[in-house]
Amino acid sequence: MNRPSAHVQLSEIVKDEDDTSIGLVEKTAMLLVACLIGLAANWAATGTAPLAALPGMAILFAASLAGLLLAAIVPLRLPAVAWVSLIAILITIPGMPGAAFITEAVGQLNFLALATPALAYGGLALTQKEFSIARHSGWKIVIVAICVMFGTYIGSVIIADLTLRITG
Amino acid sequence: MNRVLSRDALALHLTALLIVVIADLIGLVRVPIGIGTVILLPILYAFALGILLNPNIWRASGRFLTRRSVQISGSMITIAIMPFIARFGTTVGPQIEAIVAAGPALILQEIGNLGTIAVAFPVAVFLLGMGREAIGASYSIDREPNLALIAEKYGLNSPEGAGAMGVYATGTIIGTFVFAIMPPLIHALGWFDVRALAMSCGVGSGSMLAACTGSLVAVVPDQEQLILALAAASNILTYATGLYVGIFVALPLTEWLYRVSRPADARPAAGGDRR
Repeated sequence: MNRPSAHVQLSEIVKDEDDTSIGLVEKTAMLLVACLIGLAANWAATGTAPLAALPGMAILFAASLAGLLLAAIVPLRLPAVAWVSLIAILITIPGMPGAAFITEAVGQLNFLALATPALAYGGLALTQKEFSIARHSGWKIVIVAICVMFGTYIGSVIIADLTLRITG
Repeated sequence: MNRVLSRDALALHLTALLIVVIADLIGLVRVPIGIGTVILLPILYAFALGILLNPNIWRASGRFLTRRSVQISGSMITIAIMPFIARFGTTVGPQIEAIVAAGPALILQEIGNLGTIAVAFPVAVFLLGMGREAIGASYSIDREPNLALIAEKYGLNSPEGAGAMGVYATGTIIGTFVFAIMPPLIHALGWFDVRALAMSCGVGSGSMLAACTGSLVAVVPDQEQLILALAAASNILTYATGLYVGIFVALPLTEWLYRVSRPADARPAAGGDRR
C-alpha cells in the first residue's frame, strides 16, 4: 500500500476536472459535437430521423449555451447545469411565448438517449488514477459507497412519501 | 479548438459516436428476478463499452485513443450532459401544477439526503471499524460539490479527504449501476408513492439521475411525464441546496457523531494536521 503516492494522485484528479480554463468558444464547439452525437443516439434509440429531431435539439443547444454563458457571467456558485435546468424549465412553462412549440419540438428527443453520450465519455475518461484510488480505497469503501447511495436515496424517498401522505 | 478538431479529439468523438449508436441500438433490457425487475439501460452499456475501449484498460485501443484523448473525454462529460439536463428541464414546465402540488415534499426530501449518515456512518464506523475516513466517506453522496467542500475544510490529503475521494471514485464507477437497480426493486415493495421514488432520483450526479429515472420509467411507463418532471425539479433543488446542507448540517452532524462514537480519537480543536 503506497498511501502517500495515492494521495498525490487524488489531488491531481481534482485538478484534471477543473475545466474553467477552457474558453467559451471551445466549449460551444464541444457542445455542438455533443448535440450531434445526441441526434445519432436518439436516432438509434427511437428511429426518429435526425432531421425531424433537429428543431428540438437546436432548442436544447441554445438552452445549454445560455447556461454556459450565465455560469460564466453571474457571480454565484451555481454550476452551468443548474442554469441550463432553470432555463429549460422557464421556456416550457405554459403561457411563456412558444412554450407549446418548444414542448412539441423537444418531444422528438428521448431523454434517456441524450444521456448515453455523457456516459460513453465517462467510461473513456476513467484514468489509471481513478482505478488505482478505487483499488487503494479497498473493499470497505465500496461497501460504504453503496450504503451512501442507498441511504441518500431511501432517506429522500421516506421523507417525500410521508410528506405526500400528509399533504395529499 | 484542440478539444474538437485535433487528431486525438476526432478519434475520441468518433469512438463515442460508435459506442452511443451501439448502446442505443441494443436498447433497454428487462431481467425479471423473483422480487422485481432488474432494468439494464443503454447508459450502462455506453459506460461499460467506454471502459472496455479505454486505453488504460485495453492497451490495443491506445493506438487509436491517446492519453490526450482520455483527458479531452474528461472535459467532454460536463458538456455532454447539458443537452440531457436541458431535455430534462423541459419536462417540468408542462407539469408545473403537479410540481407545485408536491412542493412541500420536494423541499423536505432534500433533508432526506441526510439518510446517508443514518445508513452509511454506522456501517463505516461500527461494522467496518474505519477511522476519520468515515466522516468524508459517509457525510454526503460525495459528488463534485461535496468533494470540493471536504477539500476546502480538511484538504484531500487528510483521512477525511481519502474517504470522500474513495466514495467519489467508487460512485463514479458503480453509481450508474446502483441507481439503475435500486428504484425498481424499492418500487416492487409497493410501500412508496411513485412520486416519492421519482423526486428522490435527483439526489446525485447527472448519470445517477438518468439511471434512476430511466429504470423507474421502465417499470411505471404510464407515469413517464410526471416522473421526469419531479426528478428534474428535485435535481435543481439539490444543486441549489446541496452545498449548504453539507456545510451547515451534514458535515457538522457527522463530525459530532464521530466525536461521540470515538471520544478517544478526537481531533485537536485547532485542526492540527490540516494541510
